[in-house]
Formats: sequence, C-alpha cells, structure tokens
Amino acid sequence: MSLLNRKSTSEKSRKLKEAYFTASQGQLIRARFRQNRAAMVAAVALTIMVLMGFFAPFLSPYAPNISGRDKSYENGPPQIPKFWDENGFSARPFLYTLERERSIQTNFRWVTTENRDKRRYVEFFVRGWKYSYIDIEWNLPGTLFDVDFQALTTDLHLFGVDEGGIHLFGTDASGKDIYSRTLHAINTSLAVGTLGVLISFVLALFIGGVAGYFGGWIDSVLQMITDAIRTVPPIPLFMALAAFMPDAWSAETRFFFIASILGLIGWPTLARRIRTHLLTERSQEYVLAAELCGASSGHVIRRHLLPSFTSYIIVDLMITFPYVVRSETALSFIGLGLTDPVNSLGSLMQSVSKADVILNYQWYFIPVLFFIAFVLAFVFVGDGLRDAADPYSHSKR
Amino acid sequence: MFKFLQFTLTRAVLSLFTLLTVSLIVFSLMEMVPGNCAERYLAFKNTQGSQISIDDIQAEERRLGLDKPFLQRWTGWVANVFVRGDFGDSCILRLDINQLLSDKFWISLGICLAALVVAYAIAIPVGIYSATTRSAVANNSLRLVSYLGLALPNFLLALIIMLISTVLFGDSLTGLFSAQYRDAPWSFDKLLDFLSRAWLPIFILGWSATAFALQTVRALMLDEVGKLYVTAASARGISGSRLLWRYPARHAMGPVINSLGFDLNRIFNELPVVALILTLTEAGALLIESLARSNDQQLAGAIIFLLTASIVAVNFVTDILLALMDPRIRKGLIGS
Repeated sequence: MSLLNRKSTSEKSRKLKEAYFTASQGQLIRARFRQNRAAMVAAVALTIMVLMGFFAPFLSPYAPNISGRDKSYENGPPQIPKFWDENGFSARPFLYTLERERSIQTNFRWVTTENRDKRRYVEFFVRGWKYSYIDIEWNLPGTLFDVDFQALTTDLHLFGVDEGGIHLFGTDASGKDIYSRTLHAINTSLAVGTLGVLISFVLALFIGGVAGYFGGWIDSVLQMITDAIRTVPPIPLFMALAAFMPDAWSAETRFFFIASILGLIGWPTLARRIRTHLLTERSQEYVLAAELCGASSGHVIRRHLLPSFTSYIIVDLMITFPYVVRSETALSFIGLGLTDPVNSLGSLMQSVSKADVILNYQWYFIPVLFFIAFVLAFVFVGDGLRDAADPYSHSKR
Repeated sequence: MFKFLQFTLTRAVLSLFTLLTVSLIVFSLMEMVPGNCAERYLAFKNTQGSQISIDDIQAEERRLGLDKPFLQRWTGWVANVFVRGDFGDSCILRLDINQLLSDKFWISLGICLAALVVAYAIAIPVGIYSATTRSAVANNSLRLVSYLGLALPNFLLALIIMLISTVLFGDSLTGLFSAQYRDAPWSFDKLLDFLSRAWLPIFILGWSATAFALQTVRALMLDEVGKLYVTAASARGISGSRLLWRYPARHAMGPVINSLGFDLNRIFNELPVVALILTLTEAGALLIESLARSNDQQLAGAIIFLLTASIVAVNFVTDILLALMDPRIRKGLIGS
C-alpha cells in the first residue's frame, strides 16, 4: 500500500518537475508571483484602484469640477448611507434630508439641520452629468495639433440620490464632491505616471541602448552626461522647469508639460541599467553568432538583445511608476505642477496643509489615504515582480 | 603613494568636469525661461510707476552684458563661480546672491547632512539586525516601516507631526529659530535654540532616507552573511556581534559608502517641500520663493548649482574613502 502511495507521489513530483522544466519564462514568473501573498494582495488593490480611476466618471455621482458643486453643502462632512436607524430597517441604503434655514430664530445665519424622519434613498444606475469615454481635447500651443473629439457620450452613473446630494467623502470649500474628485485624481495620476514613464523609457532605451551596444568613446561620453544629470537633485530641477509654464496655459497643456518633464528627467537611472545589461550581454555567443550570420546591428538589438531583458524592463517600469506619481504629487503640492481645474492627487493635497483644514475638516485627508495606498500597492507589486522575475531569488533564501 | 595621488587627481578632474556639465545645464535652464533679467527688472520698475521704453530695456541689457552670445556669458558665469565663488546679483531682489545665500545655504546643507547621518545611524544597526534575525515579527514590521517610508511622502509626515503637536502642545514647531534669536548674531545660545528646533526637519528629511538605507543595508548584509568566509570565521569560533561587525558588515559597507551621494541627492529632493510646510528660512524655501513666486532665475540657478556641487563633493570624498578603506579597490587602482 505504502509502496503504491510512494509511486503515485513520485509520479506526481515527476510531473511537477516536468511542468517546471518545460514552463516558459512568463509562466515561471507568474507562478512565483502568485506565491508572494503580500504582492498578490497589493496587485488586487492596485487593480481595483486602476479600475476606479478608469471608470471614474461612471462611478462618481457629480462632476469633479466647479460645474458639479453643491452650493448648499460647502465644507460638508462625509455622508455615509445607512441601512437602519431607530425608525426601522431598509434594504435600500438611505440618507437623511438636510434642511437649511435662515431666519430670525437662527440669528440670520444659515443653519443646517438633519431631518431624521425624511429619508432620501440611494438610487442605482441614474442619469446625471454628461461625460464621454473617449474625450480627446488638446489645446496645445499652435492650432495645428488641436483635437476636439468625443465619443461614447453618456450620462449614466452608478448611484445617486433624487434630491439633495450624496457626498461619500464630504465636500470641499466650494462644495465640490471629494469622492468624485479623488476618483478623477487617481485617473490623472495614472495618466501622468504612464506618460512620464513612457517618455523616460523611450529615452532610456535609446540612450542606454546606444551606449551599451556601441561601447567605446560613445559609451564614455554618454555615461559622463548621464552621470552629470543624475547628480542634479530632480525635484529642484523639476521646479526650475515647471517654473517655465506661463500662467495662460490651459489645464491640458500643463498636464502634458508636467508629464513630459517628469519623463525627461527620469531616464538616467534606467538608461544606466540598460547599458550595463547590454554591455554584458553583447559579448555572449548568441550575439556573435547572429553577427557572423550577417545581421545588422539594428536587427541584433531588436531581435536578440531586447528580448533578453524585457522582464527586467517591465519590472523597472513598475518600480519607477510610483516615483513619478510621487514627484508629480510633490510638484502639485507646492503649486508648481497641476493646478485646481485638473484633479490630481497632489492638487487635492494642496488644501490639506491649511491649519483650518487640519483642525476642522479632516475629511480632506481621505485622498491622502488613497495616495498612500496607491503608492504602497505599486511598490509591493513592483517588488513582488522583481523577486518573481529573478530566477535566483529562491536559491538566495 | 604617488599612484594614490594620481587617482585623487583624476577623480578631482572628473568631478570638475561633472560640475561643468551641470553648470551648463543649469545655465541653459536659466536662459530658457521666457524674458531676460533686464526685461523683468524694468517690468518691475514699471509697476512702481516709472515709464520705461524699449531703449531702456536695451540699455539695461548692455549694462548686464545680456547682448553677448550665449557661450561667452556661460564662460563668464562659470569663471566667476569657479574662480571667485561669485554668483552675481539676484535678478529681482537686486542683491548679491552670495550675501543672500551664505548662511542659509550652510544651514540647509547642515540639516541635510545631519539627516543623512541620522538615517545611517539608524539604518546600519537595524539593517544588520534584520538581516540576521529569524524573528518574523521583527522582519515584517521592519519591512512595513521601510515601505511606509517610501509611500508616505515627507511632507505628509511633516503635516501629521504638526497636526499632533498643534493639538497637544499648542506649538506648531515651525521655523528654525525662536523669535528672540531670529536676527541675533551666531552665539552659543542661538546654536542651542537652533538645535532644539532643527530636530524636526532633520527627522522628517531623514525619514525616507532611513527607509531606503535600511533596505540597502539589509539586502547587502543578506548577500554577505551566507558567504563562505563568514562560515569559516564562525568555524574558527567567532560568533555574535563580533562576527557580524568584523566580517560581513565590513564588506557590506563598501556599496553603502558608494551610495551616500545619491542618498544626499534624495534628501535634497525633499528639502524645498519640507521647507515650505515647516516655514523654514533656508535655501530650500528660497528656491521655492525664487521659482514659484518671483521667477528669479539667477538665484534659482545658484541654489541648484550649489546643491549639485555638494553632491559632487560628497561623491568625490566617498570615492577616496572607498579606495582608502577597501584594499581590493586600492590594489585595483594602484597595483596595476
């Protein structure tokens, strides 16, 4: 009996071994990543946040700009829908009706009271403000590149209430819904990060690739320049560049400019890594073989060298991403980056530093929590991916 | 000995070259800002009520030497900076930049270096401990702290500390000097007052640097601890902290020293933002002031250049230190 058992387990382990040795690099990385519990949790959280950012208009009941403001609920605390109270249970979540009054009894000041007897029920899939899923409106300097294109316009929203407002995270000083703004801010931060990382990636690939492949004096000169740029502290440099922005620029142009700056300064670290990798890989036999077969240098780079470290590049991009987002946030925070009409996590945090807000309106801090969760999730996923992509990570432990 | 001198000299020349490149970058940046110094100054005068014309602007440009070609002005600027250490006049404030900056820059540099020292004073023992300990609780909590150091930006930490201290103690802990010492000349009492307030910016600036340093030290130690020479040493009967400090820690310190320059770079990054929140009056705040508010290229360029120069200086010193400390590197340089 035990003999049989042993046989079947050895059969099983043989199969496992076979699966291990025949698995592709991608499958191995995925399997290793799945074993990392912290990274998996972070990946789920990240996916949720990315989806939230992507479907921000659908999920938010109010427009994130001044047009969506609630004049009768400025600096209002968060309204959490309830399922029950002393008047009984309700399957559909509800809010209380707020009544505002200004009369001689209230000394002619606006006083808001909560009428607990009048319930306002939350409704799902309601019609609200209009938005488009494809909304490209570039107003770059010059008229040649102006694009104004909208498609998939709809006004469907996940939830809303009939009259009055529903503000899950409260409202800010002008009555804008902080929940809607946070969702849109995640969207903006993702877009800035993606654009910045892409620009720096292309630059790094080009410069690092040239330096690493050709070596010699080209490499030395490029390395000197890269090192010089690397020594300049980036945020002061960002600030110097961001100070160029004329105030007259539109929100979109500013967005574009900031993202490009972040990309233009972020490339040296990645470029250096690509160069080092190429330098070691260049002297391998398979490159020599390809060259002996008469392949051009472009072909060797594209078909042989790049695929040899795609996984490293992807991991590196994942790790760079939160730093780009952080830089944007810091820039916007001091007022040099994206400003008010654009909702970014940094511009939302700008108002947090006021003493008035710190002491009285603590719900302004909710976007901050999202920011921390966002960056943490990215760092965890990046670290998990790095460990998963490193074939020696297991033998090290 | 001669070889070592030669090495030092080569390093110094390389550092100088880096500084030159940086100065070119900084200077071109200053040039690219729309509008030059003369226009800006006269525009300012215009708001004060005096009428100005194109001729006035051109006369001012000639006076400031702005009509000369770019390269000539750059060489002039570089020569002034390198030979006489003179950054010229601020564009808007019409003040000598050296006078404006001297104290403030040294204070900033002092705070940043102190933050760096604090970061490593925490990171090295804790990192070594976490690399060698088997306790899961200690490891996980350390990991969480270092991840938080990455995710929680320094300005948020500053805000949170300020919030707590305002609510609990009624003192917002802002500024670098208390009222009676603000304009007083440097004295022992002023120094004490400064130290009693400087710990907060030092702590906040050191926060994420500590997190980074902790990760580096831990990773390096993990690499070294498993190596054969450590096993050999413990086979000879050396154990405990004596083993750790004498064998793997010494090897792990090389790359740590190497990365000091970049850690300083990271701390400088946070300087302006933290300065803004804590309303410090030093170079970081001046940088924001000159960039965000008055658009003063001359001053901003000088500050960025000085920050970079101190990083280059640290890099130079660490290179020499490495060669002195590590016989392998020394031999590689001098032996061949």
